[in-house]
Amino acid sequence: MRKSAAALWFVAAAWGQNLPEFEKKVTEFTLANGLHFIVLERHEAPVVSFHTYVDAGSVDDSNGRTGIAHMFEHMAFKGTETIGSKNIVLEKKALANIEAVYDQLEQERRKGTGADEKRMAELQAKLKDAISTANTYVDSELYTRIMEDNGAVGLNASTGVDQTQYFLSYPSNRLELWFLMEADRFRAPVFREFYKERDVVREEKRMRSESSPQGELVDAMLAAAFQGHPYKTSPAGFASDIENYRVEDAKKFRETYYVPGNLTIAIAGDVDPKEARRLAEKYFAPMPKGELPPPVITVEPKQNGERRVEIVSAAQPMLLIGYKRPQNTHPDDPVFDVIDGILSGGRTGTIYKELVEKRKLALAAASASSFPGGKYPNLYLVYALPNAGKTVKELELALGGLIENLKNVPVDETTLKRVKTKVRAGLIRQLASNGGLASQLTFYHVNYGNWRVMFQGVEDIEKVTAADVQRVAQTYFVDKAKTVAYHVKPPEEHHQH
Amino acid sequence: MKPLLFLATAVLAAQTAAPPSWKTLKYPPLRDPHIPEVTQFTLSNGMRVFLLENHELPVVSGFALVRTGNLFDPKEKIGLAGITGAVMRTGGAGGKTGDQLNEQLENIAASVESNIGETSARVSFSALKENSDEVLGLFKSVIAAPSFAEDKVDLAKTQEKSGIGRRNDDPGDIASREFNELLYGKTTPYGWRAEYATIDAIVREDLVEFHKRYFFPKNIMLAVYGDFDGAALRLRLEQVFGSWTAEQPPVPDFPKVEAEPRPGVFLATKDDVNQTSFYIGHLGGTLLDKDYPALEVMASVLGGSPFTSRLGSAIRVQRGYAYQIGADWGANYSHPGTFTIVGGTKSENTVPAVKTIREEVDKFIQGQPSAAELQSAKDKILNTFVFNFDNPSKTLSRLVSYEYFGYPKDFIFQYKTAVEKVSAADVQRVARQYLKPQNFTYVLAGKPADFGTPLTALSLPVTPIDLTIPEPKADVSAADEGSISQGKQLLQKMADAMGGAAKVAALKDYKVAYSVDMSGGSGTMKAKQTQLWMAPGTIRQENDLPFGKVVAYYDGAGGWIKLPQGDAPLSGPVLKQMQEQSFHDLVGLARSASIPARRVNYVGPGVIEITDGGLVTRLEIDEETGAPKRQMYQATGMGGPQQVEEIYGPLQEFGGFRLPAKSTVMQGGQKFAEATLASAEFDTGLTRAQLSAKP
Repeated sequence: MRKSAAALWFVAAAWGQNLPEFEKKVTEFTLANGLHFIVLERHEAPVVSFHTYVDAGSVDDSNGRTGIAHMFEHMAFKGTETIGSKNIVLEKKALANIEAVYDQLEQERRKGTGADEKRMAELQAKLKDAISTANTYVDSELYTRIMEDNGAVGLNASTGVDQTQYFLSYPSNRLELWFLMEADRFRAPVFREFYKERDVVREEKRMRSESSPQGELVDAMLAAAFQGHPYKTSPAGFASDIENYRVEDAKKFRETYYVPGNLTIAIAGDVDPKEARRLAEKYFAPMPKGELPPPVITVEPKQNGERRVEIVSAAQPMLLIGYKRPQNTHPDDPVFDVIDGILSGGRTGTIYKELVEKRKLALAAASASSFPGGKYPNLYLVYALPNAGKTVKELELALGGLIENLKNVPVDETTLKRVKTKVRAGLIRQLASNGGLASQLTFYHVNYGNWRVMFQGVEDIEKVTAADVQRVAQTYFVDKAKTVAYHVKPPEEHHQH
Repeated sequence: MKPLLFLATAVLAAQTAAPPSWKTLKYPPLRDPHIPEVTQFTLSNGMRVFLLENHELPVVSGFALVRTGNLFDPKEKIGLAGITGAVMRTGGAGGKTGDQLNEQLENIAASVESNIGETSARVSFSALKENSDEVLGLFKSVIAAPSFAEDKVDLAKTQEKSGIGRRNDDPGDIASREFNELLYGKTTPYGWRAEYATIDAIVREDLVEFHKRYFFPKNIMLAVYGDFDGAALRLRLEQVFGSWTAEQPPVPDFPKVEAEPRPGVFLATKDDVNQTSFYIGHLGGTLLDKDYPALEVMASVLGGSPFTSRLGSAIRVQRGYAYQIGADWGANYSHPGTFTIVGGTKSENTVPAVKTIREEVDKFIQGQPSAAELQSAKDKILNTFVFNFDNPSKTLSRLVSYEYFGYPKDFIFQYKTAVEKVSAADVQRVARQYLKPQNFTYVLAGKPADFGTPLTALSLPVTPIDLTIPEPKADVSAADEGSISQGKQLLQKMADAMGGAAKVAALKDYKVAYSVDMSGGSGTMKAKQTQLWMAPGTIRQENDLPFGKVVAYYDGAGGWIKLPQGDAPLSGPVLKQMQEQSFHDLVGLARSASIPARRVNYVGPGVIEITDGGLVTRLEIDEETGAPKRQMYQATGMGGPQQVEEIYGPLQEFGGFRLPAKSTVMQGGQKFAEATLASAEFDTGLTRAQLSAKP
């Protein structure tokens, strides 16, 4: 055992030393408008992956406009002035007309009980007409079609609490096409088919949260754990907010948050960095510099007492337990990663070993070291699904016992070493995928100011001691900073005996 | 860095050139991907090996593909293959326990995993180069010498059963599962599914036999990829595997798919959702069909993209009905797959969405794709073709799959060439030949009360889907005359202890009140319970709970329940629970000897088993005093069957009878409630009218 661990150390160290080797393949540059690029050469196959990381997410949504970051992400696939229109001049006019009619409708609606029903109906009909007229100018979904037809794979985007990401891979001869289209969608997007897309977003909300007992539970958990900080609301936003989005809301969001200095782009694969730089200047330099967006001001007030949330559901229950923890730039961050490895890494994690294997309490159980995001103080999350015939209460007691154990008994050296070894090996395995690398490079650059932290972070984890684990557990895993959420059966189930 | 120069360039660029149009871009030719050579050979024991060296990262990984699958599950033990696949790894191997394997592997950041799917078993490993020898040894043990430890067999069965209890939670899962079952037929291995009873029927010996039958060298293909020297590894593999020479007769072919179309709407009602998940389609074909390339192009035009396909455009883009919508030809290697249109829409749009889909499919079959649609569908396939080669390990996996299913080595290139040749007329021809909308099976999982437009508007027969999860058949012990008479004697002893067998048998009615402390759910709760009982088994229960009063009545066949929010006739699991409560009543059980339908059987020291139809319970009785000590049985819960244990305290006198003053109820090994008897009255002249009166 000792021998193999030493051998592994050598391999990992070799890769650590190879950071300079890795660095040789990386080219970084920042455009005058502040847009930062990281280019990684990997010429194994004629393919290339692109990852755009926008340092804005649902934490930047405003009141009454929750989920708007997500709505803009959808609109970023609707085309631009040069892509997706049959006649951009007439289309813009028709789009402006929709907004004008909608404004009148809103004005009337705001009169509340005094609103004129007949006028409302007229305006509704007018709005419908205006939308139909605008639709006649749309070359529907051309933007996405171009990407797909040109061989894009893994084409998607995601909106999280902290960030919005756009990613895809192309055959490497489509490099310029990517530059052209990505620059165009952030520089000159056209908000066509907005209200139809609003319905689609509403449908997504229905699928992910309203028709999913587990999604509903997570939403309720966050709403209880956070009272002031925007982590309290899921990136999907509230249904009522979604139903009332206006084009102006999404526009404003883009103008504020999609400034070049707030974007980071990584390109990994079969790419010539000189060519990437030339194309970056050609397509992205025209984006006006703009002011950096305002930071999130609200700091979550200190939690002073356990919070419990119940969701009534006929579905099989789930249990979530979250403890408040600091943001991912905090010195204790690597300790949480180690704790996560101890509790839920693979088949040796204590949660799996105790709850799933030994006591057969849980169908599945795991943890997450940062939830729902990491940029601001967040939660260390433990979750479990009870086995048939087991209760949430039993699970909660059992999980509580494991957490207490972390506080009372120093973790043994074998376990600590295992967790660290797995982190190192995990890094090596990550290096095989263009898409994964592009994503990691942007993440570390934005959140830690430097992509090299991807390697250095492993060293930070190496320094974590058993005493650190115990101290962090004792400091953060306390009842008064805890939120517990779980499903309960509808009343007739209590009837059981 | 030379920021000044960049700044100048940027300003210049901004001032001079408007960005070109995407239409004018010219793409340089794509260089051909490197297609690596795979080395193939056979070990002395007949195991076939495929090696591909790649030295980019210091990692070695591989997998063994074994010709078996859950299609070989015995009918009464559905789930056996899956459990065998899981326990091969978790149950330990080669003299090491599962936990020892876990530690040894994870200490060196390596893994060995195993699973058995529909048409193959796969055992895989991954290790850093330095540990690859050590891990290969463990990998071989898991394949050739799994121990199938009993406790891990139990664990896997528990997990499977929990999964069964959760299978109706997600409407998408329901729709997908029922669709498969309808299309392939639920009496066939392609359509059936594991139930509590089929999992309960599985014992360790079954796993041992299943493994022995299918895991032998000649039935295995081994693929290894990564940072190794091919010649050295070849020797090493011979060392590790060569001495394993198990033999079995060749494995038969997979069963044939023989299913008739099941046209119509099949509705799974799920009242806690506001969205309908739908699966629409019929059986399709295999990858070897000569029309497969044209069918792929066809499915792509029809529903390949949620945005740009015919269905995506009609359902998502033009009408905003759905977030998820798509169509897939779904061909398989070895047997016909399913042509599927899948999506979800809010409840009230269900009927319009389904109608639109049907109209779009009809329109699609009648017409030809436009030149642009055809080009787009072909471009998508051809321009993404290079991603079949973006990682060398894909070439290895593909080659092994082709060998496994008997496909030509260059199948992927044949496919590419065929796609290049597909014309609009081909698409139209295959659409007409293969799509049969009149045979479509429409599976909808959602809340019909909110549909708005009723399903009848679709003018299709509607069949409800029963989502009830069948309870397992309880185990009943064997009996003979001796054990039955011994059982009756012990039961009589208990009846005597409770007030006298004759008195108990003649009892007409009684009324008891308990105070109950419950610790279920996620807190404790106090309740008062009154139970009225009339011979032979009519009961009324009144429960005062913190959230209100719950009253239930059961007369041996049916009854009702009244909750704070309203009342309802007993049905489903609640009916089952009342039936069970009537049966498990201790006084009622003491009368069992005089009830002809019941069998009382002595099954062990101080333990009798009482059965009545499908109901079973075990009573533990003090053989000296006749006092009841424990009752153990399986009860119905919303999440599946629960193991219940009632532990009785000492008997206490109440109005001429003797009952346990305290009882503790355990569920699944954990304390659920404690009941203290407050009062009991016997033969008070209760009437059925009194019991059945709604409060």
